[in-house]
Amino acid sequence: MSEDPPASRLHLDPAQLARLASLPIKARVIVEGALSGLHRAAVHGSSVEFAEHKEYSPGDELRHVDWKAYAKLDRYYVKQFEQESQLTVYLVLDASASMAFAGGGIAKIEYAGMALAALAYLVIQQQDKVGLLACGDQKLDTLVPPRARTTHLHDLMSVLESLIARGATGDESPAAALSRIAELTRRRRALIVLASDLFDADDRTLQLLAQLRAQRHDVSVLHILDPHERSFPYDGLTQFEALESASKLLVNPAAIRQDYLARMEAFLARTRATLTTAGVDYHLVQTDQPLERTLLELLVTRSRLGPARRAG
Amino acid sequence: MGFLAPLMLVGVAALAVPIAIHLIGRRRARVVKFAALDFLLATKRRTARRFRLRERMLLLVRAIACAAVAIALAKPYTSCARKGPAVTRGPQAAVLVIDDSFAAGYLIDGKRWLRSATDEARRILTQLGPEAEVAIVRAAEAADHPSELTRDHLRLRDQLLALEPSARPADTTRALARAAQLLAASSHVRKTVFLISLLAKTGVRPDDPPWGKDGPTLVTSELRPPKLPNLAVTALRADPDPGGATRGVAFDAEVGNFSDAASKVELSLAIADRVVARGTLEVGPGERKTKRFLAALPAGARATDAYVALSGDALAIDDRRWVRASLRDRVRVLIVDGDPRTVRHDDEVFYLEAALRPGDREDSGTSVRVITSEELAGVEPRARGTAGAIDLDEFDVVVLANVTALPTARVNVLADWMRAGGGILVSPGDHVDPAAYDRTMLPLLPQSLRDPIDTTWGAPPDERDSRALHLVKWEADHPIFTPFSKAAPELADAKFFEISLLGPTTSADRKVLARFTNGAAALVEASIGAGRTLLYTSTLDRDWNDLPIHPGFLPLMQQAVRHLARKHAAFGETDHTVGSSVVLPTGDLKKLEVRGPDGAGAVFEGDRIAGRSSVRFGRTDRPGVYRVIGTDQTGSTHERDELAFVVNVDARGSDLTPAPAAALPVSGTGSGGTPVDDSRRIELWHALAAAVLLLLLAEGLLVQR
Repeated sequence: MSEDPPASRLHLDPAQLARLASLPIKARVIVEGALSGLHRAAVHGSSVEFAEHKEYSPGDELRHVDWKAYAKLDRYYVKQFEQESQLTVYLVLDASASMAFAGGGIAKIEYAGMALAALAYLVIQQQDKVGLLACGDQKLDTLVPPRARTTHLHDLMSVLESLIARGATGDESPAAALSRIAELTRRRRALIVLASDLFDADDRTLQLLAQLRAQRHDVSVLHILDPHERSFPYDGLTQFEALESASKLLVNPAAIRQDYLARMEAFLARTRATLTTAGVDYHLVQTDQPLERTLLELLVTRSRLGPARRAG
Repeated sequence: MGFLAPLMLVGVAALAVPIAIHLIGRRRARVVKFAALDFLLATKRRTARRFRLRERMLLLVRAIACAAVAIALAKPYTSCARKGPAVTRGPQAAVLVIDDSFAAGYLIDGKRWLRSATDEARRILTQLGPEAEVAIVRAAEAADHPSELTRDHLRLRDQLLALEPSARPADTTRALARAAQLLAASSHVRKTVFLISLLAKTGVRPDDPPWGKDGPTLVTSELRPPKLPNLAVTALRADPDPGGATRGVAFDAEVGNFSDAASKVELSLAIADRVVARGTLEVGPGERKTKRFLAALPAGARATDAYVALSGDALAIDDRRWVRASLRDRVRVLIVDGDPRTVRHDDEVFYLEAALRPGDREDSGTSVRVITSEELAGVEPRARGTAGAIDLDEFDVVVLANVTALPTARVNVLADWMRAGGGILVSPGDHVDPAAYDRTMLPLLPQSLRDPIDTTWGAPPDERDSRALHLVKWEADHPIFTPFSKAAPELADAKFFEISLLGPTTSADRKVLARFTNGAAALVEASIGAGRTLLYTSTLDRDWNDLPIHPGFLPLMQQAVRHLARKHAAFGETDHTVGSSVVLPTGDLKKLEVRGPDGAGAVFEGDRIAGRSSVRFGRTDRPGVYRVIGTDQTGSTHERDELAFVVNVDARGSDLTPAPAAALPVSGTGSGGTPVDDSRRIELWHALAAAVLLLLLAEGLLVQR
């Protein structure tokens, strides 16, 4: 299995993709585009897949005894499987106002929405359960409980579509949504995927992500940024207006570019270091990056981390 | 502050332009909704203040620059108290009259006033601009003046730099008159005379205005301090000290105090450059006082130079005055009276005797003995040892006044004595028979006599004066006539009613020194041997003329006997003022050199001296002692002490009292010679233009940041 996606095949422009009709179609295009470059087996797992042998002990189910091994070794071994139940995936979409920023291409919330839709499509395709939680605005109370049915996918897509169409507002931290997920997943492990620019994230958010990981949940973060936020390509007298407040700033960008970029890089480095140290699967994604590549990176990283985490 | 073009101030409205641009620029700034504004704000917090300051400074600089351009175009100016004369730039004719009299050497704060004057002149020259036609006229007396105006300002500047105080007093009126002449020849409408002068009243003659009502504008530059106190030795005489020894001389030094305060002056007398006496003198304000020094001339010296100096003040040149002191030889004159009378004033030689011994004073320098024609027999050898014997060697000059023709023996004695160096003056009269003179007296005469003519013969009494002859055409350079000017009314006014005519002659030795209006000779001179003879063709009393009652008779007779006695050095005669010409008798010299105090001088030789009884030296430019070196016919060269003379500054120039404003000529503008406006305009637009450039530079630097 190849761990790196073949870049030559990944050229779906997010901006072009955004012009497609509906989110389900976009999700399907992304998934098929992503999977077409991979060996099917890489993600063709099952929830009852064999993992290893274990010496029999009283109480073990007899149907899992490997009789062939008994015939060879004259000892009883019980087959153990990788997953004993369906995967539950929680998709957390940051719908705060900062996600509405679109430097030159599509808005971050739109990119995040498409990425999560593709992921949901993939999860449903694998008959796992997927749910959706939006954060960023206290007025929002969007929770799509995890389901594995195909019809559920349509509901989830509809919610995502409405969130994107509504546009990003508010300045609430993702911490509240993560706390809620922590409550929901108290009894079962889950995969939690957060798509956010983390501009509103406080220390509490990062702590919750680390806490979820400590509770043996799989946590992935898609840190979505606009290319303009990385390069700051502005020139001439410019008035910058905040998306989440009434703050304004009239400035000559050239005068502060160096300082801004240094601060941005410091922020990214700190975030990456904090999350990586906590075992969170961290992906820095720019909105001009092809979505299928983003999806593939997420999947490849998941598959690479999978055995180790099972071992853990 | 005022503006020459106030309408241009409308342009100050341009001040709104940068403000508008600033505001519009703010409004037209690109608006970007930005998610990571917190990062910008954090960054901006450090630079915001600087950015705001820069923006405001830019706005300020641009606003000031716009306003400054408009204000500069309006040509602002301000006024301040005038320090110098008003000068307008542009095409015009101007003359800078600069006082370079010796008073210009007055030290003010250790710097000569003339330096300030030339600095001021250069400033005026600069302000007049290159289009102005200018001339520089020096105000010293008898200074050379330019012939035309010029635009060659570089040459004028060189002239100013080379200007030094002269040794002459100021003649401001003459300089102004020359300035007016120069300006009159110019076609420019604007004509100005800039007078940079100490304005001493002695240099201004209010009764001799240099121009009329249509004269040029006069702008005076008040460079002189309100007070210029000055002390000067204004006169110095050296006379024989009647109470002293034979070599005793009394020096009378007159000191003038040209100031408002009394002063105690320290004086010193130096003879032959050695200080021999000192003294003090209290001189009140405006006073002149005389200090007498008694001293003896050095042993063996017949003549020497001396000076009196006072302790230095701000004007040094007039603090020292020279005099030529010599032990005058007494002229011994034997007068032979051909027509003695018992009534004194009818006597033939009454006037001559009075002229040679005025007041019958012992110090007249002349000793006179009067004898009759008969007594002259005592000169003959056979009379020796008798009571009436006369030793001619005891006399320098013999005057034969209306003497009948002498016998040959006496004539021979007199002729021998004359050839040995004696001098004879012969005058005719009623007792003189020309025929008899022709027979015996010719050895004593320069030319034979003929019958006299009476110009008034047959004329009615009221026409007698109009028919009289007068003296004209005398040899002004001859030592006898040096005391007289060219016109000399004291001689020319005398009426001659009868004169003796002279016979024909081919002698080249005789010389006519003076003639009458009819062309007849009045005074004829001849050198015979080592002696001289003079023939005066009229009487020495009032019988044939009225010269004896004219002022010219005394100096004429004094000079005549001194010339005949070959004794010219006399007290007071060798004192000249700077610039005057000095007549030097050549005697038998074939070369004569005059050396001034600075070493410069003149040499008279060849055609300049041959056949001349005297030479005229005019380069008396500096005060001091002028020495004369003569070369006689034998080629022997030595200093002629008796011909040395001294030159002093004209004491008139020492009085620096300012001339009243009314004494100055009326300016062409009718301003009375003083600037109309006491304030001076300073144009500011140059500075503003420079400020605009600096502001634009600052704006550029701010934009770059």
